[in-house]
Amino acid sequence: MKLTCRVKVKNALGLHTRPATLIVKILQDCRSNVTFTYKNVTINAKSILSILMLALRKNSTIIIGVEGVDARETMNKLVEGFNSRFGEA
Amino acid sequence: MYLVEDLYKRHGKRLGLEIIAGKSGIRRAIKVPEAHRPGLGLTGYLKSHALKRILIFGKVEIEYLRDLSPPVRLERLDDLLTSKTPAVIIARGYKPPKELVTLCEKKKMPLFLASMITMNLLSKLTMLLHEDFALTITYHGTLVEVFGVGVLITGDSSVGKSEAALGLIERGHRLISDDVVRVKKREGYYLEGSGAELTKHHMEIRGIGIINVANLYGAVCVRDSKSIDIIVKLEQWDDEHIYDRFGLEDRYNDILGVKIPEHILPVKPGRDVVLLLETIALNHRLKGMGYNSAKEFNGKLLEKILGKRQYTRQLKEH
Repeated sequence: MKLTCRVKVKNALGLHTRPATLIVKILQDCRSNVTFTYKNVTINAKSILSILMLALRKNSTIIIGVEGVDARETMNKLVEGFNSRFGEA
Repeated sequence: MYLVEDLYKRHGKRLGLEIIAGKSGIRRAIKVPEAHRPGLGLTGYLKSHALKRILIFGKVEIEYLRDLSPPVRLERLDDLLTSKTPAVIIARGYKPPKELVTLCEKKKMPLFLASMITMNLLSKLTMLLHEDFALTITYHGTLVEVFGVGVLITGDSSVGKSEAALGLIERGHRLISDDVVRVKKREGYYLEGSGAELTKHHMEIRGIGIINVANLYGAVCVRDSKSIDIIVKLEQWDDEHIYDRFGLEDRYNDILGVKIPEHILPVKPGRDVVLLLETIALNHRLKGMGYNSAKEFNGKLLEKILGKRQYTRQLKEH
């Protein structure tokens, strides 16, 4: 099962090191393949350097793609993280 | 989309470009990585004229235009500069005819002056455009140069790609990019890998964090880009799986339509991955020099089993 979802980066400083670390932490135990696509570049979301490479600013929109056995659960966790600005003000 | 602006910003200095008219059209799109000397087009013959190419005016074109009467000159240039032409470049710093400047302003088409001679300009421009237009993808993996061989280490997250690369760097090999590699298909059917501007020369090691390899180990341990010669896929050791024990069969992986030899390397405690990677790279070099260890050994074995005469006969038959 492949799920895709469009999300917006809401953090004021963009997707900097701290939220990127949190994403990788969320994905650590997940068994699905997770990708982020931004401006035609698709990266593996389990790798922190790949996420940082995208240098996402506030309000940039990315497409999350999740494929695998725990896709639904993983997607929910990720979307929740993005919406809650990963716990930042 | 690739714009004239991109070309000017990235390569303007290298090509010695100076914009002299049609500045408002700097955001025109370049759709094909081609440049063209109009030559025959200036005589009015525009059948199968390539519309989308950048036009380059050299000595002949300028001289020919000078010989035309002003109304004809205007008419011919007007026909030549279509709505799809991205830009016009005049080589050797020639003074452009007035009509060309006016037309470029009117049509909002950038007109550049270059100091280079026409043939140099044409070849350099084509080369740079091809480079920028080359197919590119980002690949999850780590690219290291081992004994001059570009080794792309792939595998699932946390299988130990970065740790293996770090071990290789420590032994004097070079890192191109960790975790995310930009792969570009180059002319002549080979792949070139490089790192992203922001993250190149950095590594993420679990338990340590992000480190800068160039600062830690020195500039000698990093490289900006390298051709990808082999892929080594690291895998968790699986007792059920039958691994290649002899190396007679070649496996390939297809990236952007280019076939790259691939090795699958199972990882388990006690296996020195760094040493194995070095061996794979060396073996690849040896194969490049025309020596295949597995085939050579197989040959010796058959010679022993069949006897020299029968073996030679068999070789001739196949």
